[in-house]
Amino acid sequence: MKVTIPHMGNVYIAARALFEGLGVDYVIPPQNSKAALEIGSLHAPEEICLPFKIMVGNYVQAIEQGADTVIVTGSCGPCRFGEYCEMHMKLLKRLGHQVEFIVVDAPKAIGLKELMARISRLTGSSPRSKGQKWHALAQAVRIMRLLDTIEAKAHERAGYEKVRGSCKHLLRECRQEVYRCKAPEKMIKCLHDYNKRMDEIPCDNSARPVRIAIIGEIYTVIEPFSNLYIEDKLMDYGISTKRLMTPSWWVGNTLMSPTRLNSLSIKKASRDYLPYNIGGHARECVGEAILSWKSGFDGAIQIFPMGCMPEIVSKAILPTIARDKDFPILSLVVDEMTGEAGYITRIEAFVDMLERRRSHAVSGY
Amino acid sequence: MLYLGIDVGSVSTNLVLLDHRLNVVEKHYIRTRGNPIKAVQESFRLLEGRYGDEDVAACGTTGSGRQIASVLVGADVVKNEITAHAVAALELDRDVKTIIEIGGQDSKIILLRNGVVSDFAMNTVCAAGTGSFLDRQAERLGIPIEEFGDCALKADIPVRIAGRCAVFAESDMIHKQQMGYNQSDIIMGLCEALVRNYLNNVGKGKDIRPKVFFQGGVAANKSMKIAFERALGFEVTVPEHHKMMGSIGAAILARDAVRKNGHTRFKGFSLAEKRFESKGFECEGCSNHCEVAKIHENGMEIGCFGDRCGKWSNRTMVSHSMAGSL
Repeated sequence: MKVTIPHMGNVYIAARALFEGLGVDYVIPPQNSKAALEIGSLHAPEEICLPFKIMVGNYVQAIEQGADTVIVTGSCGPCRFGEYCEMHMKLLKRLGHQVEFIVVDAPKAIGLKELMARISRLTGSSPRSKGQKWHALAQAVRIMRLLDTIEAKAHERAGYEKVRGSCKHLLRECRQEVYRCKAPEKMIKCLHDYNKRMDEIPCDNSARPVRIAIIGEIYTVIEPFSNLYIEDKLMDYGISTKRLMTPSWWVGNTLMSPTRLNSLSIKKASRDYLPYNIGGHARECVGEAILSWKSGFDGAIQIFPMGCMPEIVSKAILPTIARDKDFPILSLVVDEMTGEAGYITRIEAFVDMLERRRSHAVSGY
Repeated sequence: MLYLGIDVGSVSTNLVLLDHRLNVVEKHYIRTRGNPIKAVQESFRLLEGRYGDEDVAACGTTGSGRQIASVLVGADVVKNEITAHAVAALELDRDVKTIIEIGGQDSKIILLRNGVVSDFAMNTVCAAGTGSFLDRQAERLGIPIEEFGDCALKADIPVRIAGRCAVFAESDMIHKQQMGYNQSDIIMGLCEALVRNYLNNVGKGKDIRPKVFFQGGVAANKSMKIAFERALGFEVTVPEHHKMMGSIGAAILARDAVRKNGHTRFKGFSLAEKRFESKGFECEGCSNHCEVAKIHENGMEIGCFGDRCGKWSNRTMVSHSMAGSL
């Protein structure tokens, strides 16, 4: 058995740690690129959302390197993501690839017994003891959390750094170095090291950078290739950004969801505008918009793939929030046709607008 | 003391020189024809000899080719079109509340409140109603684009054209022609369809209040102005230099940037005679495989674009233009 996973931000680093810890054979597909997207666009239905297409590219590229089993999270939720695994299986079969899918889903949807059975298909091939397996999982979760922490710090501090580009540079270096470590223990040590270095980046704490919250559909906000590296661009402009949606947030939220105590602040914040769960992360998107307004952000950018059903609903609600709270929100839709020139123009104009609004408020004319 | 503004767009490259009171002393409109470097050089050739390099106190670039132009000319500011258009309109009239801007390949709406941009939108998936589409239709009907608008003014009863999509609009126009409707009715119908399309797509959900400025190349078309006025129910103003508003904005922003920095980076008019070459290659440094474009001036590398990590673009002086873009 040779397992693989689709890409989503830094998840591949934690996945590598998990597979190394379990001692199973694995392939990490090449980083998301135009090549992967081209493969996906060729084989996937034209109207399907962007993440589906990129993932097809990941699978095909991983299969070329010998992968025969895909591990992916599933969802029976009311959004097209729920159909992903079934459609991927059919599509790959039609292309003549023999691959197994291990779909990890919440116990609420498939039952605890089924979940354990599915997980044991992965862990069954591991030569390690039960204790070692749990340890490997714990380490992978820890690595994911550290990565998310470091990334969040870099995005926030980019607005305060004394030398423009130092946060971006360090973050990039961190990803490369950690991936090179291979052994989970070494990875954790390396991450702690970078976490410290991120804190030590010379910052001007009296700076008052423009602060923008990144909200929207979970895949497109986390996976930089899909959003044309928006966070890197904002770091280049010296903007401080914050994004709540991270892989570790998702894990925590999913684990907590049976208790209904997950993301309480978001649920509360979204109550006036969208009190229901309508699938995907539409309610979270609305809630985050309110929360970021409350915590003094200058504006928010919503990103979602073309045709994303839940986010279309939140996109329709966001202008009302923008008007009620006098809080600018820019919606960006991404798909394989997204032209970068117009995309950048919009981001730059939005940043300009936030800066000018502010200087205007100060000068008071 | 002159301020130079260059707007390198998809269809045209516009250049203005403003005097210290921001009056337009020189304006040139050149077709880009897919070659921004040549277009900038050509427009400089028109000024070379008549103005000295020291006359230019500041220089700014805007439009989709703003980055490449900034490297060529040594710009003090590199600004997106939305901000540039807003700045130029506000300089003219502080009471402008809405800007409708339709250029060669994109259309925008900019809302201004209390002298500051409060919201904006751009066309995303559809180019129906932009300049290049009108250009093409004029060509197909055999009417010079300059007379297109006047021709529509003769219309009695505009024909209803399906304007949802450029391709369908064209087939519908052909259909209406073959049914025997007269040309001016069809053209006016087309203008109304484009306005409807604009208001339904770009202007969707936006609170369009007077005073409205209509800017960009398409504003030269009188029938488009009338179609907008009919649809909105109030007057739409087309500023005198409507084609040049982007470059005027860039020039004003450049003036502000130089006031802050103290000096201009303008390289001089001699670039008209220099030899520029651009070369593209795929970077093999990582799995991103960025497509990088390199610009050479007389054999010397002056700028790189297109890489994600900054490995190439940071090598040269381009990085300053990124910083200057905000």
